[in-house]
Amino acid sequence: MYRQVLRSQWLALRLPVVLLAVLGFALPLLTVTYGGALENAPSETVAQWLFASQKIGVLIPGLALLVGLLLGIGTWAPDHAGKHVYALSLPVPRAMYVLLRFAAGATLVAAPVLALGVGSAVAVLSVKLPGGIHAYPLQLTLRFALACLVCFAIFFAISISTRRAALAVLGLLGGVVLADLVLAALSISGAATVSETVLYLLVNWPGPLAILMGRWALFDV
Amino acid sequence: MSNAIETRDLTYRAGSHFELRDVGLNVREGSIYGFLGPNGSGKTTTIRLLLGMLRPVRGTISVLGRRVPDDIARIMAHTGYVPERPHLYPYLTVEQAVRYHRAFFPDFDAAYADELRRSFAIPPAQKLAALSKGEMGKLHIVLVLAQRPRLLVLDEPTDGLDPVVRRDVLSALLDFCSQGTATVFISSHLVHELERICDWVGVLDGGKLVVELPMQGFKNGIKRIRVAHAPSLVGDTPFIVLGREMSGLEQVWVVRGWQAPMVQWFEGVGADVREIVDLDLEEGFVELLRSSRTSAS
Repeated sequence: MYRQVLRSQWLALRLPVVLLAVLGFALPLLTVTYGGALENAPSETVAQWLFASQKIGVLIPGLALLVGLLLGIGTWAPDHAGKHVYALSLPVPRAMYVLLRFAAGATLVAAPVLALGVGSAVAVLSVKLPGGIHAYPLQLTLRFALACLVCFAIFFAISISTRRAALAVLGLLGGVVLADLVLAALSISGAATVSETVLYLLVNWPGPLAILMGRWALFDV
Repeated sequence: MSNAIETRDLTYRAGSHFELRDVGLNVREGSIYGFLGPNGSGKTTTIRLLLGMLRPVRGTISVLGRRVPDDIARIMAHTGYVPERPHLYPYLTVEQAVRYHRAFFPDFDAAYADELRRSFAIPPAQKLAALSKGEMGKLHIVLVLAQRPRLLVLDEPTDGLDPVVRRDVLSALLDFCSQGTATVFISSHLVHELERICDWVGVLDGGKLVVELPMQGFKNGIKRIRVAHAPSLVGDTPFIVLGREMSGLEQVWVVRGWQAPMVQWFEGVGADVREIVDLDLEEGFVELLRSSRTSAS
């Protein structure tokens, strides 16, 4: 059953999966574009290169977000298009079907993750690092895998939710904005607005998006 | 004989404009049950309730001896469902769709599926998105028949198909039914189509089950009777009067539950029966709906 669901999902999503895998492979290579001979380079050049490569590293959580978005939404899209009629006519409990779809989607996430791992390994092998600078290909790949899975789970959950749940989330966001407006109108100045607090809670541990924050460096001291 | 489908007081509301009210279906095991009704009468909604896709406001549903929705996964393992509009994944090829479907049904008969697919001339390598409406309908029939289901639920399976494809689909269904004891629940607004294949019929109109009886009883029991000297007021009759209108000096009565000895009732009230005409299913259906709407208003 799982094999057929995975196969069907692959057939539906192979183009985005391949594109994401290409991006995953290319991103770590970009970080070493100008770093061919760093072994005896002056420390200023090394620092500049490190800074440049870490700037490119910012794109990696962006890619994780894209992986989560495309695969999370895409995993459920064929059933959405068919108003779930075919899925509901299959003899499996609904929770089991959702799990099958989730597992198959999460398996496809492995493609860009593996591509990023291979890309990182190639990038590390292509550069001779000066003393004091280290490469973290495995750590970066594992972190990227975790970030992809978190984003995939979030977008999958959004995708399978009912219209009522989507409205509840939108209502909550509207409530946050409204609370800010009310506080501003009443001239109550706090340390942070409600929206800032919510954002802080989301992107800081144990917020779900904390994994995307911080430094994403293939090379570091 | 037990019922393959049984509902009691089945009630469902969709917004403020549609209500399915106190529907009590009794579909006997092994029967071919025609579920008739005009467009918008609630046939598809009833089917979705039977298959646990919608939740009723009130009432109970039992399918293949199990309760819906509690046991729906087990029920669906023995139920083949062809929806009004096919919802298979368009990016799969025919062969991939068969393989996908097969993975969910342990009793799936792959050889039979292949035989049916060949007889319907559906190319295996064709993408579903590229299939014609007729081919798609036939593919759905292939998939559900190869499940070897105990219950087939078909929602307007031939709607929009050309006459040749329609005949192919119906003969495949009849062929399947002749091989075993499967129950078939088939909804349609194409009355003449069901007349040939069904042995029971239920008529739904405006969310209410108007009638449910054996096809033979439905066909034989509805008559158009030309009567002279009929009394203007009618008391208790041994049959059900569906309609009554003047035609020149005579009256035309449409009645249900007619039996030959009932002609004596007319003699008893001083009327002359001039002609008794059997109505076909479609005429009977129209008269039945007209009468139920008149009594409702």
